[in-house]
Amino acid sequence: MNSALPQLNPAPSGTGIERDFQKAILRLVKGGPERQAIEAGQIDAIIDPASGNSILLPEARRALIERKVGFRSLIGLAFDWYWEQDEDYRFVSHRGAGDDADGIAEEGIIGKTLWDLSIDNMSEADWRTHRQQLEWRAIFRDLELRHVDGGGEVRYVSISGEPVFDDRNHFKGYRGITRDITERKQAEALVQQPHRFDRAVLDALGAPIAVLDHAGLVLSANHAWRDFATNHAGVGTHVALGANYLAVCDDACATEQVDGVAIAAGIRQVIGGERALFRYDYSCDSPTGRTWLALSVTRIAENGNASAVVLCEDITERKRGELLLGLEFAVARCLANATTAASALQSVIRVICETQGWDCGRYFCLDQSAGVLRFDESWGVAGAAVEEFLEKSRGMVFRPGAGLAGRVCQSGQPLWIVDGARDAAVSPTALAPETGEYDACVFPVTTDDKVIGVLAFSASRVREPDDRMLQAVRSIGSQLGGFLLRQQAVDALRRSEMRFRVLNDLTSDWYWEQDSNFRFTQVVGCSAFGTAEILGMTHWELPNVVVADEGWAEHKSQLAARWSFCDFEFATVHSDGKHAYYSICGEPVYDAAGIFTGYCGTGLDITTRKREEIALRESEARLRALVAHSSG
Amino acid sequence: MVRKRKGRGESDPAATTIVVMALYITDSGPNSVRAVANLEAICQEHLKGNFRLEIIDVLQHPLRALADGIVVTPSLAKLSPLPIATVVGNLSDKSGVLRALGIVGSTG
Repeated sequence: MNSALPQLNPAPSGTGIERDFQKAILRLVKGGPERQAIEAGQIDAIIDPASGNSILLPEARRALIERKVGFRSLIGLAFDWYWEQDEDYRFVSHRGAGDDADGIAEEGIIGKTLWDLSIDNMSEADWRTHRQQLEWRAIFRDLELRHVDGGGEVRYVSISGEPVFDDRNHFKGYRGITRDITERKQAEALVQQPHRFDRAVLDALGAPIAVLDHAGLVLSANHAWRDFATNHAGVGTHVALGANYLAVCDDACATEQVDGVAIAAGIRQVIGGERALFRYDYSCDSPTGRTWLALSVTRIAENGNASAVVLCEDITERKRGELLLGLEFAVARCLANATTAASALQSVIRVICETQGWDCGRYFCLDQSAGVLRFDESWGVAGAAVEEFLEKSRGMVFRPGAGLAGRVCQSGQPLWIVDGARDAAVSPTALAPETGEYDACVFPVTTDDKVIGVLAFSASRVREPDDRMLQAVRSIGSQLGGFLLRQQAVDALRRSEMRFRVLNDLTSDWYWEQDSNFRFTQVVGCSAFGTAEILGMTHWELPNVVVADEGWAEHKSQLAARWSFCDFEFATVHSDGKHAYYSICGEPVYDAAGIFTGYCGTGLDITTRKREEIALRESEARLRALVAHSSG
Repeated sequence: MVRKRKGRGESDPAATTIVVMALYITDSGPNSVRAVANLEAICQEHLKGNFRLEIIDVLQHPLRALADGIVVTPSLAKLSPLPIATVVGNLSDKSGVLRALGIVGSTG
């Protein structure tokens, strides 16, 4: 026998009561082995032959009590309350493991079913499901219930139960345990809170953002990304949560293939740590026209796992703005390089067409005197249809208010015909001669808000104008108008100069200029001297010039006084000894600051007149001599 | 509590004799617990799985003990093969248990 086992031997440690009990027990047991076993302390209980009940011997009783206490202590660690329900699921007992209070229902739980209590997280459907479980006598585990206690605090409990049956297998109700899980739920809420906050921050961002794992799967995407996916075309724009972004890029085909390959390579480099940032701008065609997208990929490395954040922005507006700004610069450059209005118009129309992808453009000039718009200049892409269209335009004349050009001329506002019939005021039939089968953009050319002409562009597809486009056409119209106005003034000046030159040529033989020291700097048309011998010389330094001394003195004094002079006559002696005679006029020249810079003037060959005068004087002298001789 | 245990060799009953036993215990009384442990060790060592054991908690099934003529717990009843034999106590007397079970030649 194992001496470590508890003995029921009454002597010497047993109490008097226990000894009496043992004697009574031994009287009940008749068999020798049983009695020996009892005396050896190897028996826990004796079966009462009358009732079948077990009579526990003291050691066994103590052991069972200790075990019960221990078990109760242990289960106290596992749950907070123990409960029992009757066959109608009404609570018949509800005890705390530590004999403390209710927990689940402060108003009293006995006699109530679970769904009679103030539980606020169970819907009707949830209760139906639970009751069905009970009807099936199923064990239910960890049913989480929420209620508000008397202090107004939200409490959570987890309740589990199992059906109870009697010896005849009749259902007697349920019994189970309840645990207060408020702290756990609060801790879970605290853990979840940062994630919810992060998510809210991500959703609050206006830019479309998605997070990819190392393989390219979209782990997370914000609201903007989802909206973006529904409204945009282009590589990667339709990749939803859970899809593989890299696979979509790899599988891009046709015109998107190049972009897809580049984007996939860039993302892999970022995830692989070869680069910290990958940026890529690309464009695609969408129902609303050309769309530009800017992709930005950055790396996240956490706990050894690399992932990538993809940001895809629609930069169409910015790109269009840049293109329009470029167009405005291009137009300005065309105008700066143009020498005539015609070349300016052609180059401007061309650069607009090429930038916007339009087929052709025409300029109608407002004839102020006749009060009509007349076809002036045009440019178009190569092609029979465009050439035919432009050819038909030649000779077109519009009154203000008539036709597209006339309406724009009258209103001073741009006009767009997109899909023809969209403008209810313009019938497609009426448009046909003006726009052909094209959409149209017509805008005024102005100067000081006054329309001086109209530019009309046509294309098979014209985009609906936005504010930036309208701003651009107004700017271009104004630039072109200013140029044309200045060009008109230049042309007028040029014509005036031409007339002046012709008149000047009629009244003088040559033109000359001197610097502030009276040295010739330019001589045009002079037959008296060669250009080489006159430039850099003053008048009085020229060879073979014959002027009386007093004549030079007077002329120099006039020059010194900055006087204008007229008909200063001089003669030159030719190699044959004959004289030639000239008369010059001049006036002082001042710069913008009023500083004297020299003289300019004209010269006239008066040899013939002078010789005739000399001949006449000689003739008169001879005649006078004859008269004197005859009278004398 | 009624627990029934079967040995692994039961699949070939013709080859060996199956010992059928019933052990009457009182919940987790110290001698009952000891008896279960002692019997488990004997079965493992000597019966090699050729046994069928039913453990009956008389606190839960008092009528069963009364009907089977059990007076004290723990008590082990060998029901088969005949003859029926009963051992009372915590089964710490291994040789007595083996004799009751008809395992000849064992020295315990």
